[in-house]
Amino acid sequence: MKKLKTKFGMAAIVMIALFGFAFMPAPKKITVKGSDTMVILAQKWAEVYMKSHPEAVIQVTGGGSGTGISALINGATDICNSSRPMKQSEMDKLKDRYASLGIEIPCAKDGITIFLHESNPVKELTLKQLSNIFSGKTRNWKEVGGPDEDIKLYGRENSSGTYVFFKDQVVKTDYAASCQTLPGTAAVVNAVSKDKFGIGYGGAAYAAGVKHCAVKKDDKSPAYVADSETVKKGQYPITRYLYMYLRNRPTGEMKAYIDWILSPEGQKLVAAVGYFSVK
Amino acid sequence: MKKFTRILLTLGLILPMLVLSITIKAQKQIDDLKKEQDTLKENVTTLRDKISGVEERIATAEGDLAKLTKIKLSGYIQAQYMHYEAASAYPGNVFMLRRVRIKFQYEPINGVVFVLQPDFVPGNITLKDAYVQLNDRWLKTFSLWAGKFNRPNYEVEYSSSNREVPERSRVIRAIYPDERATGAKLEIAPPKIPLKIQLAVFNGNDGLTISDASGVNINPLNNDFDNHKDFMGRVTYTFKLGQIGALGIGAHGYYGKIKANTLDVLNSDYTYNRTNDDIGKLIKKNWVGFEAQLYFDFLGGLALKGEYIFGVNGTPGYTAKTTAVSGMTSSIKNDTLILTTLTTSTTNSRPAIEKNFSGYYVYLIKNIGKRHQIAARYDYYDPNTKVSSDQIGIAAYDAKIKTTVVDKFTYAGTDPVVATNAQVKTVVNNSLKSGTSDIKYQTITLAYTYFFDDNIKIMLGYEIPLNKKVGVNDKGVGNVTSAYTVNGITSVYDYSSVIKQNTLTLRLQVKF
Repeated sequence: MKKLKTKFGMAAIVMIALFGFAFMPAPKKITVKGSDTMVILAQKWAEVYMKSHPEAVIQVTGGGSGTGISALINGATDICNSSRPMKQSEMDKLKDRYASLGIEIPCAKDGITIFLHESNPVKELTLKQLSNIFSGKTRNWKEVGGPDEDIKLYGRENSSGTYVFFKDQVVKTDYAASCQTLPGTAAVVNAVSKDKFGIGYGGAAYAAGVKHCAVKKDDKSPAYVADSETVKKGQYPITRYLYMYLRNRPTGEMKAYIDWILSPEGQKLVAAVGYFSVK
Repeated sequence: MKKFTRILLTLGLILPMLVLSITIKAQKQIDDLKKEQDTLKENVTTLRDKISGVEERIATAEGDLAKLTKIKLSGYIQAQYMHYEAASAYPGNVFMLRRVRIKFQYEPINGVVFVLQPDFVPGNITLKDAYVQLNDRWLKTFSLWAGKFNRPNYEVEYSSSNREVPERSRVIRAIYPDERATGAKLEIAPPKIPLKIQLAVFNGNDGLTISDASGVNINPLNNDFDNHKDFMGRVTYTFKLGQIGALGIGAHGYYGKIKANTLDVLNSDYTYNRTNDDIGKLIKKNWVGFEAQLYFDFLGGLALKGEYIFGVNGTPGYTAKTTAVSGMTSSIKNDTLILTTLTTSTTNSRPAIEKNFSGYYVYLIKNIGKRHQIAARYDYYDPNTKVSSDQIGIAAYDAKIKTTVVDKFTYAGTDPVVATNAQVKTVVNNSLKSGTSDIKYQTITLAYTYFFDDNIKIMLGYEIPLNKKVGVNDKGVGNVTSAYTVNGITSVYDYSSVIKQNTLTLRLQVKF
């Protein structure tokens, strides 16, 4: 019994010592990884914040929402940017590894924009038409009021949150095998700007040099282009939140940074970059 | 004037020649350019052909790669050093491979998944998972599983590669041996609601050892043992507690039966319950469990998880009949020669028993930073709630029937008369006594895990099983004892005191 007590005592000491680690000050460097859609926004936030807080070091990289969430789970990043909500399976992994469900912070709103070449006469498409186009059922522009030319599809890689969100909310089945996957919305915009018969999708902030296609829920609904008003009012049919995910509730420098992002100053940058504020 | 005319004439001659020369030169340059253009055209055509060839090859390679992305390979190896404090353990410390698993997952089309997971532990290669999963592609809510997979229970489904302590709790190991079962399952998990419903039907005898009279497992391949199928259901729901954490609650039930494999069935307290018409009659395996998992963000992740299970678990018996015929004996009685044979029929039978049991486990887990985790678990298992610790070793059922049938004479001849006398003797030994399988255990497990990275972790675990003491007889010896032999020396465990059975585990896990 005495021996058992000694063992318990030793185990208690080890546990108390380990508990002490929890109170150690967190390092000042903050790593941010994830959504390519959010990378310019995250970089802007970091850049402006570091100017006013010279002691802070914030490192931002993209890679896609899936990659960011994996990095959050395996401890390779402090903040994960994601353009889609975390899946239950990802939450389970976080729970299994850190005994935590993670913290979800909606930090901006986005309207997934449909990009067309500037010369394309098509002005609006319904969600159903978009589904048919990106699933490969509709292959010619003639079928949706355009020229008699094959439709060229440009999309994102499957690690992208935009890819997952667009698939779940619009395509609702598998993407057509002919859809060319590109790394980042900027690459999609670039490809569509050079292809007369191309169509792509991506975050609103990147949509320069291409035509924005208006989107309507169905034949009877009015068509909307993604802008601050239509997204805020929920009129534009393909809107979503952009999220930051953390393993645990933020403390110290990380809390200060996130509070600043959600402050009017941080949210002003959201609009400046081309997204829509959550406030 | 003449001079001027001569200059003009000279110029008139030279200029056309110059123009002609320039024209010829320009024509030559044009021809050269045309040649270059033709060459360029040829080169461009060649390059275009080459690019087309490369594109074709890329398309083929992409097609092949796309096929490869449908195959997912994962797995983990747990290599460990174990130190046993139990006196009966020899060797008392070993290096071993606890789990060596590779999981092959193939998704040929969206929504259809094949999973195969063998365990390559040396000397005991087994197939852990082998199932087909059909996911509903439209509502993304339903999935149908068929094959061999985990039974729907929290601790069973919680992967060993993620578990915070080395092994599962005692009650789970007892009622869900080998964790997996063969059957079919319907899962309902609406994507927007944190609700999960699992309904399963299994053969019901997976992982069970069904012994014959000599203790040999009569069903080593775990084929179905009877016509009855066992049903399982589990419902879980998770409440989000804002940014503080989450609370998951759930319940599961098991409704099953198994062949008694013997005629007599006992109650949990070893009293007589019934006699079956035949050994194929069934005994009960019914229980329910309630679970909860609380995740709380307190300076990093903190989790409190537990489950309470109770019910009736049937254990089949056996019936082994042997017949022996003695040699013929002769005697003379009243001028009659009597030839006698004796046939002895012995039935060694162990009754089946339906034991009421209960058990629970509670985990406390704290993550410290990104790399450290400490965990403590308390688990309790009472395999027989109807027999108190004092009665273990005393409670028993013992029925012995001895029947002798004699004087079945057959006469032949007139003088002298020969009588043949067939005697039949029946002996039935039918008994079952409470013992080690009824002893209650509480187990404390402490563990510390260090995560090197996402793939590698090292765990130090210490398990302290504490048996509840049984009563003692008038000689001061425990009512339950068990002998063990180490290096030719036989010793006895006396369960009237706490037997030292602690185990230290130092485990290195690599996951990919």
